[in-house]
Amino acid sequence: MATSARFYDGETAQVHDVSVRTAANELVIFRLADAGILARWPIGELVVLGDVQHEVTPPIARKGAEARLVVDDPELRRQLASLVPQLAPLAGTRVPPVRRIAAFGATFAVLIGLFWLAVDYGTEYAAPLLPYSLQVKLGESVFEELTADKDECHGKAGMRALNDLANRLAKAADYPHEIAVHVMEGGPVNAFTLPGGILVFYSDLFDQAKDSAQVAGVMAHEIGHVVHYHPMKGVVRQYGIDLLVKLVSGGYTDLLGSLASGGNVLLALRNGRAFERDADSTGVALLEKLEIRADGIASFFEQMLAKEPKDAAAIAGIWSSHPPTAERIDATRRPSTGRPAFTDAEWKAIRNVCK
Amino acid sequence: MTTTSPWGQAATPASPAAAMAAATTEPDLTPSRPRYDGKLGELYVIYLRHLVLMLATLGWSRFWGRTRIRRYLWNHFAILGDRFEYRGRGIELMVGFLLALLMLAGWGGLMYLVWIYVFHERPLASFGLFDIFSLSVALIGFPLAYVGHYAGLRYRLSRTRWRGIRCGLAGSAWRYGGLATFLTFANAVTGQLLTPLVSVNLARPRITNTRFGSLPFVFAGSAGDIYARYTAYYFLNIIAWVVAAVIFFTAIGGAVGGLGLDFTEDEIRKVLTRPSLRIILLVAALAIGLYIIFSLLILPLRCWWQAYLFRYLVSHSRAGNVLFATAISTRQMWGFLVLNYLIIVLTLGLGWPWVMHRTLRLISAELWLYGAPDGASIRQPTDLGPRYGEGLLDMFDVSGV
Repeated sequence: MATSARFYDGETAQVHDVSVRTAANELVIFRLADAGILARWPIGELVVLGDVQHEVTPPIARKGAEARLVVDDPELRRQLASLVPQLAPLAGTRVPPVRRIAAFGATFAVLIGLFWLAVDYGTEYAAPLLPYSLQVKLGESVFEELTADKDECHGKAGMRALNDLANRLAKAADYPHEIAVHVMEGGPVNAFTLPGGILVFYSDLFDQAKDSAQVAGVMAHEIGHVVHYHPMKGVVRQYGIDLLVKLVSGGYTDLLGSLASGGNVLLALRNGRAFERDADSTGVALLEKLEIRADGIASFFEQMLAKEPKDAAAIAGIWSSHPPTAERIDATRRPSTGRPAFTDAEWKAIRNVCK
Repeated sequence: MTTTSPWGQAATPASPAAAMAAATTEPDLTPSRPRYDGKLGELYVIYLRHLVLMLATLGWSRFWGRTRIRRYLWNHFAILGDRFEYRGRGIELMVGFLLALLMLAGWGGLMYLVWIYVFHERPLASFGLFDIFSLSVALIGFPLAYVGHYAGLRYRLSRTRWRGIRCGLAGSAWRYGGLATFLTFANAVTGQLLTPLVSVNLARPRITNTRFGSLPFVFAGSAGDIYARYTAYYFLNIIAWVVAAVIFFTAIGGAVGGLGLDFTEDEIRKVLTRPSLRIILLVAALAIGLYIIFSLLILPLRCWWQAYLFRYLVSHSRAGNVLFATAISTRQMWGFLVLNYLIIVLTLGLGWPWVMHRTLRLISAELWLYGAPDGASIRQPTDLGPRYGEGLLDMFDVSGV
């Protein structure tokens, strides 16, 4: 059989118009013009580079050699493929794209949906399963970052009282790990929770609090975050959505990342509001379980609202990380009954924790 | 689509006498264009498969997906009837990525030591470990992105064959990275007045270090040639910005005055935090108006300059006896720079194959070659190119197909 094809010798950039003859154990390539033999390739060493789905004309080569034989005519390729088993890939045909696009497109859409569900709901169950030592390490590194320019307070009696209540509340929620409370000197009037059961208070909160019940209320709220693993869930969800956007854009660019970051922020804020509601109700429930005065959360919010009547959270709506304060007051209002969270001596020590 | 070559007169001798003279004394300057015969549907099959695998493997399949797309695009692109061949492998890209990751981890370790011994528990303690790491990565990331660009180009060229001969890129990627960083910085501090110098001096190493086998490319451009056009663009651009701003603010003033809108502080706060549907529509209309003014005045001007620059760089390059030229127009450059960007953004990334397809069609329509290489004199290079590729590109997220 003689077929016309092109041969690149692999040493120079010359193009040879050639014929191909299959002998018993070899493929003989010879020039069309003068029948001069250019190459004799043992059948056993023939390889097809690529496939017909990606290459129009997958080149034929001898294993390890630079030379190439290109047969453009599909009919001739089929003949070679039927004669030489090593060249069978040449016989493949391209499948019409419509069906494959539909199949891959549908699979892609389903996978995006599954991925989203896994991120949104899976973290609910997966985040607490992450090795606790890892959560602590993450929390500690963030703590160092966030508080690098602040002085930490170490008043022994005050810290003991705070840590004692924090761990009692966590234990009441069957939280199996130790809670570590830190107090930073100054403001804002706030407290927050980090992965690994790390609670951070600013001392201005103790100065502004009307009574120890308010501090206990804020602490119970933060313990609510801890026992629900909110900080870890937030991190995992944020990371998951970032990853999804990257994968969907083909992994080529982060151009879409900036576009998607708006949606991601909204999602984080929505999570934030849900987390706050959870922490409020859990905090109140834990205080009630320990028969401690549970009116501190609502009264703290009332105090904040009195100070800043234009509730930023209510005005911001979906742009807020917290639910409207009035709504939170209604949800957490409790009678001022129950035992005090701290003794008078403890409360005094807490107020002097930075002195 | 242009059907006559930009240098048509050079390729077609005016008279039989001239033709005879050309046959004896002038090089063969027969014009030709590349041919791209890829099909968008087929490209989408490969791309969607890539996306599915990306989701299934959490992104680890990207090295192989990228390789498959390149194989398709390269092989559907032909010059003088001979198709290109891409023989890179996914594993090479993955190893390159892992090496870059290792490099970054090493850098992280170094920064950790710097933090421990220099900053930790010192007066500068507020400068945390994370600050040091991100600041240092931002600092090294800028030059490294250029190094990555050059090294990535070297990798891609070394895996590209035409007529069985490997391409290549000589020169040091680090030197290029240093030069690019310096020129970009100098351009920034001089109010972009050095742009022609930067464009030409960054194009030169990429072009002159490119090899097809043993054949080096030649670049004969000089920044002085394009400064007149750039100066015109520079000042027209300033005028266009001023005009666009005047039109925009006049339009806003007209809209606010015409609608009798008068906002109190509370209303402004409400507008900023809980906008009504009317306000959202108004803001959307203003944004579209701004974009239209921007598109009409600024972007065409930028495309006008970019098309000129591209024509200049291409027409001052050659490979042996093969000369290059292009007559790419401002409108086509708009399609390439602006429309392609919009396609990607508006399709949330799913328009990538379309953009690649459009780009290769543009190249095949607008790139002209004069003459053919002397195949017998071009030898296969002994250098096999880098063993792994594109790790830095991947790391700094600047890679495309």
